Amino acid sequence: MPIELQIMSPAAPRVDFKVPPAPRLDTLNGKTIGLYNNVTGGADVAVNRVAEHMARRFPDVKFQSYGGNLRPNRPALSRGVHIDEDEAATIATEVDAMVGAAAH
Amino acid sequence: MVAMEKAGVPSVGIVARSFAHAWRACVDGWGQPATAFVTISHACTGQQPDYIYRMVDEEIDNIVLGLTRMSAPSDLAGTSNGHSETGLFTVSLDDSPWGLDSVNRFMEERDWSDGMPVVPPTPAAVEAMLKGTRRAPQDVVMVMEPGFGLATVEKNAVNAVMAGCQPAQFPVLLAALECIAQPEMNHRDMQVSGHTEAPLVLVNGPVAARAGINSGTSAMGPGVVNKANTAIGRALRLCLINIGYCKAGAGDPNFIGLPTKFGMCIAENEELSPWQPYHVDRGFQPDESAVTVVTVTGPTDVLDTASRKPEDTLNNIASMMFYRHAGGGSWIRGRQSAQVGHTSRRVEYQGPYHPIMLSPSRAVILAEAGMSKRDTQEWLHEHCRTSLRDAIGSGVPTDADGRWIHHPELQPLAEDPDATIPALEDPEQYLLFVTGGSTHYANFFYGTYGIATKPVEDMPYR
Repeated sequence: MPIELQIMSPAAPRVDFKVPPAPRLDTLNGKTIGLYNNVTGGADVAVNRVAEHMARRFPDVKFQSYGGNLRPNRPALSRGVHIDEDEAATIATEVDAMVGAAAH
Repeated sequence: MVAMEKAGVPSVGIVARSFAHAWRACVDGWGQPATAFVTISHACTGQQPDYIYRMVDEEIDNIVLGLTRMSAPSDLAGTSNGHSETGLFTVSLDDSPWGLDSVNRFMEERDWSDGMPVVPPTPAAVEAMLKGTRRAPQDVVMVMEPGFGLATVEKNAVNAVMAGCQPAQFPVLLAALECIAQPEMNHRDMQVSGHTEAPLVLVNGPVAARAGINSGTSAMGPGVVNKANTAIGRALRLCLINIGYCKAGAGDPNFIGLPTKFGMCIAENEELSPWQPYHVDRGFQPDESAVTVVTVTGPTDVLDTASRKPEDTLNNIASMMFYRHAGGGSWIRGRQSAQVGHTSRRVEYQGPYHPIMLSPSRAVILAEAGMSKRDTQEWLHEHCRTSLRDAIGSGVPTDADGRWIHHPELQPLAEDPDATIPALEDPEQYLLFVTGGSTHYANFFYGTYGIATKPVEDMPYR
């Protein structure tokens, strides 16, 4: 004999939060690209390879590296120390775009 | 990368293919499901440069496109933002084998399970669970990442019912969630790390007996005597899955996971311990109840069969610190930090804490030798050391003049090949918890993040 059983969903409502995507660039030429690695092995190799390619394609492109102890008086960004809103705002004054690798 | 997008900087992540679902789940929760990424065939950790080059070379066109072209709507397929089913449902069942499994199938179809059969969370069962607390059903205990789900008391009760908890155990679960909610627990990383990390729930005080939590033989194993331990640990995991949206392979991208992730809850064997209970170390009175949560990987067994004197036992415990990532002096580079909430506020905390689950008989050996718990922690702190050079690794944070920002007193020793420092910053990071049967064993867990202890609501249940 079938019965109907009411059950409550275990899933929670989610905080509705939206971040609009940043505007994209027309070209990378003349721009400064941030290269972020979180100091897990190989992430630096990956983003530096990206820089090699970009430098060949866009002769005037420049790079800034982030991750580890690269910048005095700034957080030593790593797997355990992330980019927070304040650091992101500072980085935004230094670069036009960012490529990140976490070795994952 | 979401933080950078929010700051107005177009960004692209390079992600191993096996992390693609995790990436989508995380950026979705953090409010920017369109955050661009490319996938490479394997994690590049430890790969030789030529291999990494080949993986990156294949994706360089897409990386450039990601910075110069807005993602098309089709790129967002598979995101789950804002489509949670959170209400009441009706399931038909009958006494056939297929019919009896209806609720489980319903849950599994929505990815609302840990994969094992659950107790149906009917409104009546949830209402009964809510009698285990004085808190209002809609009180929000925490906002749980990566999905930013609202962990109301009622939603926690639904998951507690599913796990097989009794109302007397519900306050323990709520206290564990209060711990997870603390910034120093770094629950975002606990949830989304590829490294296997699971919350270990440690219970002290009168609530352990009230809730039926075993603190003796086999307490972290299977068996009816461990029903409360199992149910509470499991309920916490179900909350992390269903409220935090930490789904296997998506929000939870663990390499292989571990059985510890199904749930771990144990009480201290206060009756047989020669030392004061752990929650008293944390500032509580002995007759108060408290829950401590620490995030761990492992454990590994400490076999103390051949010991003849207290130093043998201590050395056996200390031998577990051979694993070079078990702290490894990383404190000289400054404390770890958690990212908290949608603003990714950075909160520094001390960690890791390594729980050492000490059989009462091993604690008695040390106590009979005149060692307090603090003495034992200080012995471990003094004897578990690491090379300063290894701790420095690729560098430590410096100011503009090259001075170490953290622990400048150690900088003069940087070139000394024989210089060593304690593996952990402070003695209390060796978390001694006396539990289990009185045998010649201990269990050593490797802690990963911070620690929190919270009081348990005192309810009259028996």
